Order: sequence, then structure tokens, then C-alpha cells
Amino acid sequence: MAFEALLAEYEARRAKALAGGGAEKYAKRTAAGVWNARERIAYLVDKGTFVESGLFGASGVYPEEAGETQTDGKLAGYAKINGRDVCIVVNDFTVKGASTSATNSKKIAHMKRTATERGMPLVVIGESTGARLPDAMGSRGMGLLLGNDITQFRRMRETPMCAAALGPSFGSSTWLTCQADFSVMQKGAVVAVSSPRLVSMALGEKVDPEDLGGWRLHAEVTGLVDQVVDREEEVFDSIKRFLSYLPGHHMEAPPDAPVPAGSGADMERVFSVLPESRTQVYDMKRVIRAVVDRDTLFELKPRFGKSAVTGLARLGGRSVGIVANNPLHRGGALDADACRKIVDFLVLCDSFNVPLVLLVDTPGFQIGTEAEKAGAPGKIMNFMNAMTLVTVPRLSVIIRKSYGRAYVCMGGGRHSDDVAAWPTAEVSFMSPEFATSIVHGVGAGEPGFEEKFAQIQKGADVWGLAEVYAAQAVIRPEETRDYLIRMLEVYRLRSTKGVGQHLMRSWPTSY
Amino acid sequence: MARIEIKSEITGTVWQLRSKPGDKVESGDTLIVVESMKMEIPVITEDPGTVKEILVKVKDPVAEGQVVAILDG
Repeated sequence: MAFEALLAEYEARRAKALAGGGAEKYAKRTAAGVWNARERIAYLVDKGTFVESGLFGASGVYPEEAGETQTDGKLAGYAKINGRDVCIVVNDFTVKGASTSATNSKKIAHMKRTATERGMPLVVIGESTGARLPDAMGSRGMGLLLGNDITQFRRMRETPMCAAALGPSFGSSTWLTCQADFSVMQKGAVVAVSSPRLVSMALGEKVDPEDLGGWRLHAEVTGLVDQVVDREEEVFDSIKRFLSYLPGHHMEAPPDAPVPAGSGADMERVFSVLPESRTQVYDMKRVIRAVVDRDTLFELKPRFGKSAVTGLARLGGRSVGIVANNPLHRGGALDADACRKIVDFLVLCDSFNVPLVLLVDTPGFQIGTEAEKAGAPGKIMNFMNAMTLVTVPRLSVIIRKSYGRAYVCMGGGRHSDDVAAWPTAEVSFMSPEFATSIVHGVGAGEPGFEEKFAQIQKGADVWGLAEVYAAQAVIRPEETRDYLIRMLEVYRLRSTKGVGQHLMRSWPTSY
Repeated sequence: MARIEIKSEITGTVWQLRSKPGDKVESGDTLIVVESMKMEIPVITEDPGTVKEILVKVKDPVAEGQVVAILDG
């Protein structure tokens, strides 16, 4: 056989490439309960669909390191998730800590380019130490490795992008987490600009990795991560589930799904979620879960800006984006974090043709010194601007309160295709308690307050809105689900087959 | 055992204490109720755990972000 030696070399090289950083390192991870890169791919994608791109890649900077830089530390390729094509990049931490260097940068760039140009979601699974040293050291290293691909961090949202942070996720894994349409973090992962070691060297600050970039920080304070999970399986399950609501690219409508049995079964009782007193609060998620198809609510950033709820769901089998106020937190008052969370979500839905449903119960935007320090006016105007740029169908339902500027931001007037209101809706420029004091000069408990208050409260009821056609319908609460399903049908973007204009496709989220 | 700080989301006045040291709590439980903007705003824990300390009493003013309870979780 003339080519026997060549084929033997091929098999030997292939086996070495597939072995990554070596059996010993893989075994150590397995013993610690941490999956290896190829195990992650096996769980993420449909069986037998992964076609690797760049298996024989190795260091592009130091040829003498080819033997210890298998795949150059990042696996790339094409696969299917639930039967749909995707491009994936999965870091192999056993090879130089999956640090970024010349060859693996070309691999990521090619996956991004292919996904973008051919209309497939891009999934990047991170665990990385950052830029590889000494590859990127010195002016020559910088000049060769950084900044030569202007599209590297350009986001025009032609295709959905998902990012996961597992373990240490410095450098590219952190950047991609911030840029993704959906980011998920496993507890124990660290997402940060630089490692605790560098921080302590540079600043003399001894810092706990969890404080520097742990899940609690990103779930509750920075809002940079959409979901946090306990187990590794859940990282991949959440990515698969996120993608199930979205189209493969921006020029198609999201896929439909069967309506689960039991959907709508709780609508008869939905009105009882509201407390009798308007000074008491309730959990809007109970209303959302009753209205949408059974078990389809997929909430994003649940611990961040909690007075708003944002999540993907389905109504009558169609993907929708839910934006709701949640009176359980801050009484539903929208603070800077809640505004940012909603705007990020509007960008996602509008970019990928997902119709929006707004469920409204807010006393308005958060006021006070803390709110002003957080730049509330800027966040509110970003929210306002975003609402004017939405081009997907949007429907709003005023459940209870809708006051002030928040009335417009939450879809009031022509900021929804259709406004429906429950009989409990109350709409005005400000809450009747304060309006009574300002308009009539009497405070709560003072003589004449109750009478004036009743007058002003009456003026805020739903009928004024309906009479001037600012609400197109007043509906019984139990009819909400059926009404929304019918209106989603009415307002379908027929002439473009469900595709919107994507006016926010380059909107910078995560800030 | 992690020490979890429970913060008031809003500036207002403590209206009710719904939990005390030693109580076992679940995610979503209300520990304290604050009166603000003429509404009863609950202080809710996201994490399960045991109440270690309640740092406020009824009628105390609280500021947004103020730690009002500590959990062992």
C-alpha cells in the first residue's frame, strides 16, 4: 500500500488532536465532576451531527509548540440543535487554558462569519484564561494578534448568539458573554475583565473571585448574565431552550410549536391573583404563567431589575416576548435596572421578529435620589426611544396601574398596535394620592381629602381611556389569553412573512 | 453556609416584621413589609435559608439598598 504511512500518520495526528491536553488532564476534570469540551459538545448538539472545523489547528505563533496546542485550545464546527443548523465554538481548557491566540482566533472568526452570512445561530461555550502569553506580548505580538478583524466584536444581530460561562471565563469568554443575545453562567464561574491574581498584583487588593465576577454579582448587580444555573447540563439545556423560541436568522419568523395540553386552564382564576386593595402587591408572574402556553415562560435576568419581568414564551404556539411590570418588587416602579433590562429585551425581540406582549401595572418610574444617581432620566429616554423603534407586532394589556411617562413606555397610545385593559385599569399622570395633594392642596388625613381623592380616582378609571379609543378594548381578565392569541393573528406582519425592520439591530445592550 | 444580605429595594418605613431570627425561609418568602409610595412593599428573599438577624424594627425609616436582614443560606 503506497499511502499506508500517510494514513498511519493521519490517524496518529487525529488521535493526538482528539486527545486535547491529554488523558491525565481530562481524567482530573472528570474526577472533579467537570465536563470536557467534547463531552459538552456531545450533550449540546444532536447526536452525530457535529462536523469539526480545524481539528488539526495548532499554535500559529510558535510552530515548535504544535505538539502541545491541539486544536489551539478551541473546538469549532457545525452541528444541529433540535434539527436546526448552528455554528459552535467550545473552549478546551486543557490546552493552554483555552487562551486566545492566532489560530483559534481565525477559527472563531470563521464560525462567526459563516453563521452571520449563512443564517445560523452561533453558540460559544466559554472557559478561558484570556489572551495567551507570551503570544500577545510586546508590540509585535499586539500588532499580529489584536485588532485585525473589525467584525470580531461587531454585533448587527443577523443571527442569534448564545454564550456560556463555565469555570474561569476571562478574556474572550467574558467579552462574548456580554455581547450575546443570551448568556448563561454556571454557579462557580467567574466573568471579569481580569483575574483575581492580576487584580491583587496591580491594585494590592486581595479579592474573592466570587466578589470579582461571581454569579451573584452578574445576576443581581450588573445584569450581564441572563440566567444562572447550578449544574452543567442546565447550561446546555437553557441554550437549547432559548434557541427554540428564535428563528435561525433575522430574515425569518420564529418557529411555531404545538400548544401544550392544559394551556389556559388557569384563566378562570386569573382575576383572583389581584389583591382587593390597590395598595397591596401581587406576583405578576402568576398572571403571565396563566396567560401563556403552559410552562413556556423562559425568564431572562430574573434577579436583576425585578420590578420588570422579561421573558420569552409562547401564545397559541407562537413565540412572544413578554414585558411586564411586577408589583411584587418596588410596587412595580421602574428603576434604571428595570429600564435597561426591558430595553435589552426589546432589542432581542425586534431583531429576531418576536412579537411583544406588555402586561402593565406600574405606579411609574422610580423617583428619589438613588434613582437620579443611577441616571434614571437617561435610562427612561432610552426606553422611550426603543419603544418608538420596535417594528414587530406589540400588544399591551393594562392590568391595574399605568401612570405618567411609564404609561407611554409600557405601550400606551400608539406605542402598541392594540391596547386592551382590564376593568381594574387606572390611568393618569400621577397616582391619585399625590395628585389630590398637588391639585387640591390637601394631604391624606386632612379634611376634604377623601372626597377630592375619590373624585380624582374616578377620573383615572378605565372608561375614560376606552371612550377616547386610547384603549381599543376593555376585556374580562379571563378572556386575556384568547384575546391576545387572536390579536397576534390580526397584527401578523403578512407582507414581510413576519419579518420586522430591525431598527435596533446595532443597539448596544449590556450598559 | 453563606451569609446572605437582604436589602430593601425601596426607601420607606418599616410597617411589619414577618420573620424573626431562627425562622427557616424559602425563596420568595416575605421577611419584612415596607410602606412606601402609599403601598405595602414586601422585602423578599430570593434564596432559601435561616434568618440570622433582623436589623430593623417597626416604624424605622429604611433607605433603598439598606441591609435589613441577614440569612444563613
